Amino acid sequence: MRGQQRRACRSGVDGGQDGGSHGAELLGRRLGAAVRAPGVSNRHGDVPVLISEDIVISQPAKILNFLRKQKYNADYELSAKQGADTLAYIALLEEKLLPSLLHTFWVDAENYCSVTKPWFASSITFPLSLYLPGKMSREALNRILLTRGGPPLYTLTEVEAQIYRDAKECLNLLSKRLGTSQFFFGDTPTTLDAFVFGFLAPIYKVCFPRVHLQEHLKQLPNLCRFCDDILTCYFRLTASDGRQPS
Amino acid sequence: MSLVAEAFVTQLAAAEPWPENAALYQQLKEEQILLSDNASSLAVQAFLQMCNLPVRVVCRANAEYMSPSGKVPFIHVGNQVVSELGPIVQFVKAKGHSLSDGLDEVQKAEMKAYMELVNNMLLTAELYLQWCDDVTVEEITHPRYGSPYPWPLNRILSYQKQWEVRRKMKAIGWAGKTLQQVLEDVDQCCQALSQRLGTQPYFFNKQPTELDALVFGHLFTILTTQLTTDELSEKVKHYSNLTAFCRRIEQQYFEGNDKESSSTAAARSAKKSLLR
Repeated sequence: MRGQQRRACRSGVDGGQDGGSHGAELLGRRLGAAVRAPGVSNRHGDVPVLISEDIVISQPAKILNFLRKQKYNADYELSAKQGADTLAYIALLEEKLLPSLLHTFWVDAENYCSVTKPWFASSITFPLSLYLPGKMSREALNRILLTRGGPPLYTLTEVEAQIYRDAKECLNLLSKRLGTSQFFFGDTPTTLDAFVFGFLAPIYKVCFPRVHLQEHLKQLPNLCRFCDDILTCYFRLTASDGRQPS
Repeated sequence: MSLVAEAFVTQLAAAEPWPENAALYQQLKEEQILLSDNASSLAVQAFLQMCNLPVRVVCRANAEYMSPSGKVPFIHVGNQVVSELGPIVQFVKAKGHSLSDGLDEVQKAEMKAYMELVNNMLLTAELYLQWCDDVTVEEITHPRYGSPYPWPLNRILSYQKQWEVRRKMKAIGWAGKTLQQVLEDVDQCCQALSQRLGTQPYFFNKQPTELDALVFGHLFTILTTQLTTDELSEKVKHYSNLTAFCRRIEQQYFEGNDKESSSTAAARSAKKSLLR
């Protein structure tokens, strides 16, 4: 139907730090590009990464641009205004939801020690497995403090309280925007659906000890239904392979 | 702030009406203020004008240090001090004035998303241009930022600020971008805003909201500030509905006011020559 080239999309073990890799993989699959996700970590140290023949591209936004240039585009049925809305909502996700996602995965001590670190370390080769998870954790904390940690929030607890409040507000806004429709712009998924799924799926599916964001998400049934729909439609072949840690 | 403290402050805010002597503080307009701070300050001024709330603009060299969050502008109302557009909008709402009450839930979500888009792309691009582009830093930012202070304090302060901003850019992944990539991002953002605005007078219905104030603040400042190159303002000028939007808001909310009116336009064109 579309291109027959094999493209290998390595997505790391879960969704990558910025939540966009699930989105990139999803978009690739939705558009019919044959996308393999072997689930092994990338030796370049940067996930997600798309390898097409000899070209290596990292970062979700660049991957999506590359796919678009290869004429794989999920947004051609959208109006100009809807395309603009896509950009705006992606900015909202990155500002409001990403800090708490990073915090849940990488900064919260209990979650990090019992889930994230063993999970990542298990698929990174020794001796990098001793160093990389710690580095990613420090980078996540750094990013949170630099972008959200200025006065009048002076302690880490105050910053945490603020970012979780923002994340819950963002989830509420997404739920209101989605309403009762199947996808954000009608009946077919688009780039925005891919991005939102990329951010929501890790919150929804990963079993952490400290889960207040997941509990809040479960109170928004339309977002849960949205995630489940996409998982069954586009990830059914790999739905059982290690999406949840033991 | 905890929820209890927030509720307490909101109640305090609601208790008194808007006074006549409210003041908005920013850095010195002619010599010191930079592109991003000017944009933020103009956005707040536009918002207060749209709410019909009188405020006078006070220029102080140490406005950044007086601000409770370290960012300008901030307003001093009664015995409370609030900084940045987001908290100011909430503060004004607690006093009973709001521009977005007429919007439904989906429109409010859209408005918040577009405000984040402007903050995420336009404001970050302005900061990048000011502090990470070497030519602009040498010719414009360093001389302006520390201008009220004697040597060596002026150099120390501007290097310190530059180091802070570059650290933040590195954390969010903008440090590796080239100027061309940043300008492309600005273009993408302006295209989105232009497509959303279409042929309407304001972004939502016929009434302005805080989104209009924010977009006006940034776009007007970009259009009227002269930098080392014109590329940034060219990106905005490419979209005629955005320039018409800026002109409309300027005429409606700034030229009616005696103090502002032509002195604003004059101050801005004076700023042009001072910046080079």
